[in-house]
Amino acid sequence: MSEEIREEKHFCVFGIGEREFLIPKESVIQILDVTKIFPIPGSPDYIVGALPVRGKIVPAIDLAKVYNIERINYSENKLLVLDVEGEKIGILSDITPFFVSFDKEIMVDDYLDPKKLYEELKIKQPSSNKKNETLS
Amino acid sequence: MIDQTELIKYFLLESEDYINTLIEGLEDLENKSFSQETLEALYRATHTLKGSASIVKFNKIATLAHKLEDLFEAIINKEIQQDISILNIVRRIVNSIISLINEVSQYNEERTELDSNLVNLIDEIIRKKVILQMEKEAQETYAALPVINSVRVDLSIIDNILDILGEIIVQKNIINDREKELKSLVEEILKSGKKLFSEIISFSDRYWLSPLTDKSKVLDTFFTDFSDLEFDKYDEYHIFTRKIAEITNDINEGLNELISFSENLSSNFKNLGKEIISLKDNLLSIRMLPIGRLLNKISEAIKDTANNLGKHINIEIKGGDIKIDKPVFDLLYEPLIHILRNAIDHGIETPEQRLAFGKSEKGNIKLHVKKEGKYVVISITDDGKGIDIEKVKERAINKGLLNKEQIHYMSNEEILSYIFVPGFSTSEDVDFQSGRGMGLNIVKTAITKLKGTIEVFSEIQKQTTFTIKIPQSLSITNLLIFKSSDLEFAVPINYIEEILTIEDFPDVKNERLINHKNRFIPIKIFSELYFSSNGKPLEKGYIIIFNFSGIRKALLVDDILGQEEAAIYSLGKFLEGLNQYLGYVLSAKGTPRFVIDPIKIFEEEFIFTLPITLTFESTSYTGRVLVVDDSISVRKSLQTLLEAKNLKVYTAKDGLEALNILEDKNVDIIITDLEMPVMHGYELINRLRKDIRFKDLPIIVLTSRGTKKHQEKAIDLGADGFLVKPFDEKTITELLNNFNIIKNQIF
Repeated sequence: MSEEIREEKHFCVFGIGEREFLIPKESVIQILDVTKIFPIPGSPDYIVGALPVRGKIVPAIDLAKVYNIERINYSENKLLVLDVEGEKIGILSDITPFFVSFDKEIMVDDYLDPKKLYEELKIKQPSSNKKNETLS
Repeated sequence: MIDQTELIKYFLLESEDYINTLIEGLEDLENKSFSQETLEALYRATHTLKGSASIVKFNKIATLAHKLEDLFEAIINKEIQQDISILNIVRRIVNSIISLINEVSQYNEERTELDSNLVNLIDEIIRKKVILQMEKEAQETYAALPVINSVRVDLSIIDNILDILGEIIVQKNIINDREKELKSLVEEILKSGKKLFSEIISFSDRYWLSPLTDKSKVLDTFFTDFSDLEFDKYDEYHIFTRKIAEITNDINEGLNELISFSENLSSNFKNLGKEIISLKDNLLSIRMLPIGRLLNKISEAIKDTANNLGKHINIEIKGGDIKIDKPVFDLLYEPLIHILRNAIDHGIETPEQRLAFGKSEKGNIKLHVKKEGKYVVISITDDGKGIDIEKVKERAINKGLLNKEQIHYMSNEEILSYIFVPGFSTSEDVDFQSGRGMGLNIVKTAITKLKGTIEVFSEIQKQTTFTIKIPQSLSITNLLIFKSSDLEFAVPINYIEEILTIEDFPDVKNERLINHKNRFIPIKIFSELYFSSNGKPLEKGYIIIFNFSGIRKALLVDDILGQEEAAIYSLGKFLEGLNQYLGYVLSAKGTPRFVIDPIKIFEEEFIFTLPITLTFESTSYTGRVLVVDDSISVRKSLQTLLEAKNLKVYTAKDGLEALNILEDKNVDIIITDLEMPVMHGYELINRLRKDIRFKDLPIIVLTSRGTKKHQEKAIDLGADGFLVKPFDEKTITELLNNFNIIKNQIF
């Protein structure tokens, strides 16, 4: 998950278990306290549920499930709301996220590309060989 | 019949467009060239103008438009020279049309007689194929069109407003809930206040009566200034109770004010709620169009079809003034025309056949629309051949859709509903005897998209009726809210026929079928579908019967919470793969409720949970290790070391956490420190050895306490290995090898 950073200089740092991840600051639009998450039955386990934000829901993603990270505690759960091409997705963080700046020449470990993350975690339509299925 | 003035309004709106197209097109012809494209646009505009005018029976406008249409056709086909001189004539006609439209706008009728000279001239031109001119010089300018008091608004703007309104309704519902809380709070305070008050009254009354004792001295100087004879004897209690009573009175008054305040507030909220609802209704009605416009348009098209086939029909439209949402309006055209075409093609017989059957020569088609609550029911009836149910049965069996035994139990309407199944009948094997399955699947799909249902009834040789039931508006849906495993869900109410309680069907869980009103209805259990659990026995439960265009299915849910109207939001692109949901709604409290797509649930091969494929890591571990240490650096270094050996590593910072991890993770070996907060290593080993599940789980102690005493104690408790910090990779690897944790180091 290391990637060379060219344009971005400002990052938001968030943590899961003992790992820390960086995400471009521009894509973070909101940081919320997690009070209650409503599960979405049928969704993959990395989607812990949905959080209502201003009358719309934001899916909450637990990267611990994606990267197999052990959780130490759940005490300070925050939700980072990202804007990926107009869509809002949320990522759980065990720490209160903070912002850092790096020289753009520096290689950053644990950098997450929001677009790539979005595409990889997006729920794909279950492939169905029977289209236009009717009731029978 | 549809309100005529309403129709005229629409005609005026439309005609404005056509006239503008005509004027612009004519200018293009004059200033640029006689392009085929412009001519065709002009031809189309006149053609539709003719159609629209004839629907509202403005025959003069229709005639002029017709003449113009013929003229353009001749020009397009180059029968008439494509020359600017023709435009004078055209302009004359357009102006005549405009003045007629002006009359219509003013008096709702055409007053001036047709200019027969003009009409004759055009006929002449078309016949002789030469451009003739009027004696009078043509006017240069066009007359002004009537001013129509309306604006055209992009639908998306209205949709936006409706979205905002949806938000407002959510907020309003929250306030309503809050208001109830306030009310109960006030009531509670009032009750306590009253209790306090009566307590104090009774206390002071009692005290009043009891004699004074010498012991109780009066301390208030006001009273001590008087001698015993000068003033009633009061002691401190008296005064205290008095004061309390007074304060209580004040409180009581305050409470009464609070009550009237909260009552006023409630009525304010109620009014606000009403206003919001009427705002919503008004907004929705902006997008509403009378269905008659659509039906008129369709029947014109259908009459043409019938004429081409040499069949004669009467079309009767009822309830054309019922309004439907613009998107519904647009999406209804295709399915309706499809059904009607089928009726003409395969239903209505030729005049000769009809007479032979003793029917009237003209076929009758009825398009009846009525409102049922928030739904619009459109029934399309023809008095043609009807559908031969025996043929439907035969074909359903041939296609393998049904077997002979099943048919026995099925009602006619249920069997008929199979004509909607895709491929039931295709264009290659249209059977004029058996009826018309052709393309009905398309019709059904379109209706389903509109959240509607379609059913068919037929009497052989007599009639066929298609009944379409659709919601009047697409933006707000009526939902049934139900509960399962403590989560709330919603399902559109339009497919729901009935709700039964589980008590009447005790064996439902085993039989997966209920016998209701002599129908066997298959049932699915929601909690099993959605939570893949059937652990707890269902004592309480409700059976929701769905009717999908005649096919009934049942769903068992835990509890039903009620019915609600709400705007369904889309789940968004990220979650759209969860196509078992239509979207979600928010409850008054802001809780999301996912809206189930009932059609998806009953799909035969419905699998709810998705196969999860993650591309992030390989899962081919050779073993799983749990590292328990309060030092993060030890945990980290061990984790790195072990992960490099292709081991899955779990970490915990004390014994208790380790136990928690062991509850839901399988582990092959534990490496634990001894000194840790919360639960130390000895305790952990002790507990694990007492637990039958972990009594043989290898445990290695890794500690900085290297004394024999520590080692012996650990081994006594059941540790399998002992390492002293600082550790090195080699010893750890060797030790793990001993326990067969690191297998096959060959590669």
